[in-house]
Amino acid sequence: MRLFILLIVASVLFPQLILAESEYSFSLDEIEKKPYSLGGYVEARPVLFGLDDDAALYKLKLYNQDLGKTAEEYNARLQLEGGYEKGIAKFYTKINIDMQESYLGWKDTETILEGYLSLKPSSSLNIIAGKKALKWGKGYAWTPVAFVDRMKNPDDPDLALEGFIGLFADYVKSFSGRLKTVSFTPVLIPVYEDINDDFGETDHVNFAGKLYLLLYDTDIDFIILAGGSKTASYGFDFSRNITSNFEVHGEFAFINNFEKKFINSAGDTFLNTYDAKSYLLGIRYLTGLDTTFIAEYYHNGTGFTDGEMEDYFSFINTAYGTYAASGNDNALGKALKLTEGNYGSINPMKDYLYVRVSQKDPFYILYFTPSLTGIYNINDQSFSLSPELLYAGITNLELRLKTSFLIGGSKSEYGEKQNDYRVEFRVRYYF
Amino acid sequence: MIKILFTFMALILAVPAHAVDGNELLEQVDRNLNPESYESYRKLINIEPNGSKKEFVLFTVKKGKEKVAAMFISPASEKGRSTLRLDENMWLYIPNIGKPIRITSLQSVVGGVFNNADILRLDYTSEYSVEQVEENDEGYLLHLKAKTKSVAYDKLKMWVNRDNMLPSKIESLTEDSMLIKTLYFKDVKDFGEGVVRPSIVETDSPLYKDYKSVMIFAEIKEREFKDEVFTLTFMPNMDSLR
Repeated sequence: MRLFILLIVASVLFPQLILAESEYSFSLDEIEKKPYSLGGYVEARPVLFGLDDDAALYKLKLYNQDLGKTAEEYNARLQLEGGYEKGIAKFYTKINIDMQESYLGWKDTETILEGYLSLKPSSSLNIIAGKKALKWGKGYAWTPVAFVDRMKNPDDPDLALEGFIGLFADYVKSFSGRLKTVSFTPVLIPVYEDINDDFGETDHVNFAGKLYLLLYDTDIDFIILAGGSKTASYGFDFSRNITSNFEVHGEFAFINNFEKKFINSAGDTFLNTYDAKSYLLGIRYLTGLDTTFIAEYYHNGTGFTDGEMEDYFSFINTAYGTYAASGNDNALGKALKLTEGNYGSINPMKDYLYVRVSQKDPFYILYFTPSLTGIYNINDQSFSLSPELLYAGITNLELRLKTSFLIGGSKSEYGEKQNDYRVEFRVRYYF
Repeated sequence: MIKILFTFMALILAVPAHAVDGNELLEQVDRNLNPESYESYRKLINIEPNGSKKEFVLFTVKKGKEKVAAMFISPASEKGRSTLRLDENMWLYIPNIGKPIRITSLQSVVGGVFNNADILRLDYTSEYSVEQVEENDEGYLLHLKAKTKSVAYDKLKMWVNRDNMLPSKIESLTEDSMLIKTLYFKDVKDFGEGVVRPSIVETDSPLYKDYKSVMIFAEIKEREFKDEVFTLTFMPNMDSLR
């Protein structure tokens, strides 16, 4: 009886404590919503590079340095996310603070990835003003229809991307029947000297729009970009589960009057204007043993052909020869200028294959996911192979060991990269 | 003659037990477990053989028979992730990735024994038909068969208490009757507004020997939502419902 009274008194004094059973507890404090939020992660990421001093990109970027066979790089990142909500209004920001110590010296950068004010007057409408990353497209490694996003890295496609400043809206409507959802996302991106100047040509206000349909259990997007900073682009993507464990997705992009700047082996530059068509087809398949396969084929209509890439590498080799003989690095400087945002973009050629195999919880080790990722350049048969071990068994702590081997012949994309291999260990703590 | 009469009488008396409509029973179980449209707060705990635990807190909303969505409130590494299920379509939204990706019912967004179908559970009647009802002293044993091939488990065996028409145990089986996992419903609690249901669901699996996962309900109440809440566009904004 005394115990019973004690229990009653305790439950009155500590009403926030819900004792579901003696071994489990669930406090109401854990679900209390506050108007503000602050979180993020802190990360350390040392990297060891195995250098290839015969490679064209080594000669281009490190021609005046003597680094030996390996180089170390130490990276640290603080990602801060904060928000404040009042009524229908919400302010949100995500900031990256990066520090790097490498063979190039010390570097620190602060980047506002996103920062915007949103108004949500109803569950159908959301209006956003500020800097936001949209992440359009259905591809995992590549997204050719993401006309208003920065290019993601297929080597680490889950990384947060920096957005663009603009005005965004979402209007969504649900239906019963075969057509379950329709949503429309109009976007205005101003590009001036101090705003979004890395988006494209300045002094334009660009319009982009996405129409989303959930039709016959298939996600479908129609996408458009117009306005002058970039040439007009039109796109379409889809994603659908064929069975509960087998998904297919695809993208098609048409870029009007795309301008490709390229170089011949003698160093003469050319400009080719044409309508580029890029497309992607992918699958995601889960086996009964919890093995996930992701495979994607990507045709990059804006990419370089075998011959164009070989000319580029030949020009670098010639320019390096001139530098070695005379100390004159003018030609290397010209090649470096053409590399930025052009030959140097991620996967600059025409046709690629991406395959990722990951195994969840092998040998009954919970939260342990080993994986193997391969990116194959179909045009020159060079490739990268990245085994990875990920462990997230400790609350809010994530450990990742990743190695990448770059393999390819002379004048091939992966064969001419400055590294032969890379070993990276990432420790990330969320708060 | 007496023998024949006895047999005849026994057959007549046996009729009521067989006349129990299994699908009606299942509908009652569904409504007793939760209102058709509701919001709830749940904690999921994965317990490893060495006793170490990992906890996840989820806010869940459901509307009608085929719409359910959930958002992680904690831990920090999962905060803001949301999942959406429209009938057999499932998506996961991860804030850093910034776009919803399709997932399957057999995967698990939290790891451990609970998979996505357990976490984003629809009404049993929307996925299963009752093939057979056995009656015993405590209540009923329902043999459930999936309506389509896309349902996570082909068969379920559900033990239902007669007193409160709530399940006490569910076995999830493959088409070949291989046991995948067992759910144990415990600690029936009054959540208010007429919702009286087990506050703890424990699960174990022969596929995860000595592992255990637990789902604890802190709050569950009837609430109506607009259909637009259950769309990909709304997934990043689920927190605005709290």
